[in-house]
Amino acid sequence: MITTSRIVFRPVLPDDYRRLYEIESDPATALTWRYRGQLPPITEYEPALWRQTQQIMVVEGRATGTIVGYLQLHDTDLRAGNASFSLYSGPEHRGSGLVMEGLMAFCEWAFGNWPIRWLYAHSFEHNVSAFESGLRRGEAVRLGVLRERMLVDGELTDVHVIGIEREAWLASPLRRRFNQLRERSLNVGSSAPPVTGV
Amino acid sequence: MTTAEPPTEVRWRLATPADLPFVYRLVTQVDPRWYRFSRHGLEPSGMIGLMGGIAAGAIVHDSLDEPVACALLADSSASGTGTFEYYALPTPHAQRCAALAAPDLLGAVFATSSPRRLYVERFDNDPHLLGDAEQLLTPEVVLPDFIRIDGVYEARTTMVLTADAWWPWHEARSESAE
Repeated sequence: MITTSRIVFRPVLPDDYRRLYEIESDPATALTWRYRGQLPPITEYEPALWRQTQQIMVVEGRATGTIVGYLQLHDTDLRAGNASFSLYSGPEHRGSGLVMEGLMAFCEWAFGNWPIRWLYAHSFEHNVSAFESGLRRGEAVRLGVLRERMLVDGELTDVHVIGIEREAWLASPLRRRFNQLRERSLNVGSSAPPVTGV
Repeated sequence: MTTAEPPTEVRWRLATPADLPFVYRLVTQVDPRWYRFSRHGLEPSGMIGLMGGIAAGAIVHDSLDEPVACALLADSSASGTGTFEYYALPTPHAQRCAALAAPDLLGAVFATSSPRRLYVERFDNDPHLLGDAEQLLTPEVVLPDFIRIDGVYEARTTMVLTADAWWPWHEARSESAE
């Protein structure tokens, strides 16, 4: 679990599934690769949610106590040292920065707990703006674009392949700032030990 | 036939369940280059399970009627894309046979499945088995240092062969052969 002043980042629990289902039921999310518009009924959701998935981490907003989004680690290949991730944000929380803070926690957690050198994400053209600041700063790199790869709502759309390299993350100023903020939030009103990071 | 002799004749046919032992042998000989299978390890029942999700497959035979290569069409989707996977036994003879058969195999894929975009993925040091059709591939994604093979990190590149590139080339090739 990783805590900042704004979020709690923790493993998913079965009690969270209904909220994850709500997030995935949003039309903008339901048309992604995973279900391609065919979200299963809630009774069949758990096996679909965990397909090819090694771990699911939820992002809780501390102000509200509600799950604002979640991240999935999937298609892990420990022989190659890479894995993919997916990021989902509740529609009412897009633009709040909470889930992107969750992505920082995810990088810290994934590179600190798994023998992974690269994390990959596939992003539709209409979602890729979420990664733009990371691409500009250099924590993430665009590894290519699959042109007209998917049909979303009847329209062909490009899919951007984004990579986050372990060494780039560990050396990034963003990571340093993130851990400083974590440390500060832990130390407020407590005698918790400093965060040492990865 | 020795490896120095160019193959004079190759043929291909659709794969059947009886080809699984050959495909498994091929996967083990090129391991880990046939990533779809090798990424899960070489446990045979796991591979049989993966084969169940394959849209179609073909086996290439040399002039002595020995199987030398296997092609699969995988990940076909409603958006008109698919992935063409093509591997030969790791000998110059088998690789030459595979390259000779490749344009016909690709022609069969485009004729029967009509993909808009057909993907080919390969590691840096994979042999080029698509023969004359190699020139039609356009790289779209490169995953650097993707996996270590025999001590050396190799990138994995996703290339695309579009229907728009395929059909004019195929027609010109057919006309020049007449």
